[in-house]
Amino acid sequence: MLKTVRDLFRYNLEFALGAILILIVFSFAAASFFSPYPPMDSYVVAPDVPPSWAYPFGTNSRGQDVFWQLTLAIRNSLLFGLSVALMSRILSLLIGLVAGYAGGITDRILMTINDTFVVIPLFPILVLFFFMMRDNMSWPMLAIAMASLGWPYDARLIRSVALSLRTREFTAMSVFSGMSTRQILVEEHLPYVLPIVFSTTLNNMNWSIGLEVTLSVIGFTNIETPTIGTMIYWANQHTAMVAGVWWWIFFPVVLVIMTFLGLYLLSVSMNEYIDPRSRLTRMGGQG
Amino acid sequence: MRTYALYLVRRFAQFILVVFIGINIAYLITHLTPVDPVEQAISSVTMFGQSSPEMVEVMRKTLRELYGLEGSAWEQYVTFWRRMATGDFGPSLSAFPTPVSTLIWQALPWTLGLLVCSTLIAWIVGNFLGGLAGYYRKNSLLKALGILAMSLQPIPYYIVAFILLVVFGFLWPVLPISGGAEMNIDRQGFAFAGSIIKHSILPALSLVLVGLGAWFIGMRSLVSNIVTEDYVTYAELGGVDRRRILFSYVMRNALSPQLTGLALSLGAIFNGAIITEFVFGYPGMGTLLVRAVNAGDYSLVLGITSVSIIAVASAILVIDIIYPLLDPRVARS
Amino acid sequence: MRIMRVLAFFASAWLVATSALAQGISNLPREETIIIENPQGTITNPPWFNIWMVARGGNSNGLQQLGMDTLWYIDPDAGIDGVWDNSLAADKPQYNADFTEMTVKLRDGIHWSDGVEFTADDVVFTVQTQMKNPGMIWGPVFLASVDTVTAPDKRTVVFKLKRPNSRFHATFTVRWNAAWIMPKHVFEKVEDPTKFDFNPPVTIGPYKLHSFDPNGKWYIWEKREDWQRTSLARHGEPGPKYAAYIDPGPPDKRVILQLNHQLDIIHDTSPEGVFTLIKQSPTSQGWFKGFPYAHPDPTLPAVMFNHQVEPFQNADVRWALALLIDIKAVSMASYRGAATISAIGVPPTGLFGEYYFDPLEQWLTDFEIDTGKQKYKPYDPTVGQQIAEMLRPSMDEQIPTDPKEIANAIGRGWWKPNPEAATQLLERAGFTKQGDQWMKPDGTPFSITLLVEGDQRPVMTRAGTMIVQQWRQFGIDAKTQAYPSDFFPRVESGDFEAAIAWSVETWGGHPDLSFFLDSWHSEFLKPRGERQPPRNRQRWTHPELDKIIEETRTIDFDDPKVKELGQEYIKLAVREMPIIPLMSYNVFTMMDTTYWTGYPSADDPYTNPVSNWANTKYMFVRLKPANAQ
Repeated sequence: MLKTVRDLFRYNLEFALGAILILIVFSFAAASFFSPYPPMDSYVVAPDVPPSWAYPFGTNSRGQDVFWQLTLAIRNSLLFGLSVALMSRILSLLIGLVAGYAGGITDRILMTINDTFVVIPLFPILVLFFFMMRDNMSWPMLAIAMASLGWPYDARLIRSVALSLRTREFTAMSVFSGMSTRQILVEEHLPYVLPIVFSTTLNNMNWSIGLEVTLSVIGFTNIETPTIGTMIYWANQHTAMVAGVWWWIFFPVVLVIMTFLGLYLLSVSMNEYIDPRSRLTRMGGQG
Repeated sequence: MRTYALYLVRRFAQFILVVFIGINIAYLITHLTPVDPVEQAISSVTMFGQSSPEMVEVMRKTLRELYGLEGSAWEQYVTFWRRMATGDFGPSLSAFPTPVSTLIWQALPWTLGLLVCSTLIAWIVGNFLGGLAGYYRKNSLLKALGILAMSLQPIPYYIVAFILLVVFGFLWPVLPISGGAEMNIDRQGFAFAGSIIKHSILPALSLVLVGLGAWFIGMRSLVSNIVTEDYVTYAELGGVDRRRILFSYVMRNALSPQLTGLALSLGAIFNGAIITEFVFGYPGMGTLLVRAVNAGDYSLVLGITSVSIIAVASAILVIDIIYPLLDPRVARS
Repeated sequence: MRIMRVLAFFASAWLVATSALAQGISNLPREETIIIENPQGTITNPPWFNIWMVARGGNSNGLQQLGMDTLWYIDPDAGIDGVWDNSLAADKPQYNADFTEMTVKLRDGIHWSDGVEFTADDVVFTVQTQMKNPGMIWGPVFLASVDTVTAPDKRTVVFKLKRPNSRFHATFTVRWNAAWIMPKHVFEKVEDPTKFDFNPPVTIGPYKLHSFDPNGKWYIWEKREDWQRTSLARHGEPGPKYAAYIDPGPPDKRVILQLNHQLDIIHDTSPEGVFTLIKQSPTSQGWFKGFPYAHPDPTLPAVMFNHQVEPFQNADVRWALALLIDIKAVSMASYRGAATISAIGVPPTGLFGEYYFDPLEQWLTDFEIDTGKQKYKPYDPTVGQQIAEMLRPSMDEQIPTDPKEIANAIGRGWWKPNPEAATQLLERAGFTKQGDQWMKPDGTPFSITLLVEGDQRPVMTRAGTMIVQQWRQFGIDAKTQAYPSDFFPRVESGDFEAAIAWSVETWGGHPDLSFFLDSWHSEFLKPRGERQPPRNRQRWTHPELDKIIEETRTIDFDDPKVKELGQEYIKLAVREMPIIPLMSYNVFTMMDTTYWTGYPSADDPYTNPVSNWANTKYMFVRLKPANAQ
């Protein structure tokens, strides 16, 4: 395992770059545990100080240190994105694999449900959900709501792969050798769809974090929890862009880009690693 | 051919079912909201100006009757479907008695114009560049483009839009930043068309910039998978023109999943571009939807969501119907 | 590639050529047009001008400011010719001795924009039509009070009232809005007035509709050729030939538009946006020449408790929470110091300084709280001065130095934070402190959810988060909850513990408090779970308060006793602290003098510049083209 990672580092620039970026972002998020300020408090430092040695990312118009505020925001946003991705992956895997393997009437029922979820527009549902939750609106609740809406596209994708796996010989072999459906799905089919799961995780995180920002900008989230979205929300409430407090927006955006660039590079290089053909071309002649 | 006809019938039945269930779920959820259109109406009256406590009760009762909110939940549900069957969404509750369809028709052309154009532009440019990047993998310009597309994509859309607005509307004010056309312009002729185009440049640009990345990345990975297939290698060895390989062999095969994505994105535009409309003050369905949700106007929310549900379901239907014709393998299975 | 370059050239040439046009409003001359923000934003139902019916048409899109008129106006500031203006009426209302009959004399020579003369029949029709259709806005009000309405002659209207009501004329007296007069000759031809869009509107104000956006983003009004036949003509000719009310978008965009001179009046934006304008745009000005720039509207944002929720019935708890608030920090967090603070239950605006604040200053300074363990004078009369001193280092000469000016602009005194007294008050109420956390008498943690409006009202949300932080630091489990859009319906349904909202609104220029206070009578109180009609949103009742309200009802609007009763209410509200008063609702209305001059200001307070107020019609006669000077 360690050797693999070392190989990747040595021969795969993308992997090295991605790993470094992700490491920076994660250690940044981890730094939030050492924040000297209570996370929700404002006016703990002088407001609107540009980046300096004392405040490397400056301070915002609410009198908060952007650096420490951002550590917490990125931690919450990542956690949010990951939990939405995790929950919705489980759903899409379950429904995709079962539909693809079972076929027939099960497939049709599941895909009708699937398509129903595809066609229902997200935005009004999420805003109405906010009104219904009232004071209980928190990011875990939002994550659950978004996870239960964010699976159908990928379930369809996984189903199409599973559909093709069903006609392969090894599936028939497994059936003859007396494996249960659960065993076939988990032990035989799952490994084939895992690469898709990884690559869709990235898109899903991008989608959920982006939607969280959208909801925050128009004010339909819990604005007390620092996230990338609520940071932009508060910057917006203080018209930071026209007031010249650019660092309040700039640093969160840079960090978000680093996160996704890192995740993307990692997933590209992992895919290449899994796919032996491109690995050979890389390590061989041109390396 | 008979199997295809059977497939069509079955597929169409599923379409009807999906639309029916989808609209029912939307109906249920919109009616669960605690936001009450009558209270919203009363509060819009009592917010600033005169009000006496006696007036509120009378007004509440009268408005309930007027809006047709009296009657049991079941009666309202039946009325809803009876209207839907004739394509009528009924009167809007927040703009009573204006019909929901009038409000939608007012907003729809703007949304369609802006979003169809920018979705298509993003799709074409993204796929074209992505295809090149996937095929010419050593080209450093294309590699840089990949990184750029990848970095643009995760920037919260709101920020991209606002930066464009500040740059072209303030620092170098050459483009209009508000509305869909100039105020008070004669609504016909070239001046109007020109004004619409000019007003749409920034909103469209922001949408294209953000939308481009996903198509680019998708196409690049699809192409780089196909490139390693045997038939491409044979063609290359056989000395077929590389440009021809890319466009006729590689990209064509990679196109079908991207077409599916395009159809779904086009179907989804009926919700409008909420943040675009918010930032650029562009007219359209997004603003209408947000206002409707805020006002508890479930007639209007349902009208918009129903249009959207039908559009997305139709897009999926069309893809599923065309696929077997393009790719006979699917039809057989 | 060459073709790309050619295309790029033409594209940029076209942009530069046409962007010059973007300065004007298509074919309207910019120097004859004033562009004003309509804070209602995009109108949901654009072609709806029937202002007597709720249908999400615009009302502050110019319709109520320039198109409508009614009997009287009370100015929130000093007024163009005194606070009271007889608009369509020729004189003040005449009541009989027991206030059961009101007689109104009307002006001569007023005409609707289609040339028809305005008469007493229009007024009678307005009342009768709405009584027949209680879904119309003023219908229920008329139904509750009016027995009969008649027009003995063309210029006289007589209202017979169902019961004595010395404030009936308030329905026809503009503070932001009032019952507007309908054109009888238009509406009598309509089958159902509740479903009539009144497009294009026949106006009685000095402007008529020129054009509007079918998508509801702008409305343009044109000065009537016969503007002399409207009531405003007494004060002169309106300056602008055209007035455009537009939706300029979010607060930062409004700032950009004014920096580009494309928006003459910003209705409201963020304090930071105002500082940017002051710094970068020499032509922009606010109400105050220096800090706090904003116009104090006669509305009192406050920490509102729900008196039907434990433990907020207890005055000790409410006072304890008030003594934990450091208003200086709240003023900084919400308005960046540009607030006008108030310690008492009326907003410190208009002429209220001389009506209420100055006479009560000594009483406030002597006011004592008895916590059971100590007697304590909570009022600190120097808080306004302290805020001024705090701001002076960064804001410099923009901060006034004259104490009187500071009192009007930044405010007078407020309550001194005193955690020790707060502790004693809470302990007397049966609360205990366990570790860092305060416990209620029943042993559960003392938690407060403070409802705020979120991005619908940014400065108030900012004030709320600061107050909650101060409570939290004292050991109360407090948090804010942003609830945009459906905020006031929710507050009125009683589904809240505490909120940053308001239930106190005054005339501004006139000392009478019945505008809000009458609805605080216990006869209107609803049990928990039912909707409380506005404006007693805190659901507070008190026998002494009822007595004050009942006595006010029996005296004339202009009776000198009005002020005495008002002071009694204020003293009662200080002792009971039903809501914690914070500040006036300061609106950052910014006016650009590039095209127009003569805007109202604190130095020349002839009316309120806050552009959604119908009272802003008086501004138009003072506006002069900038290049004419």
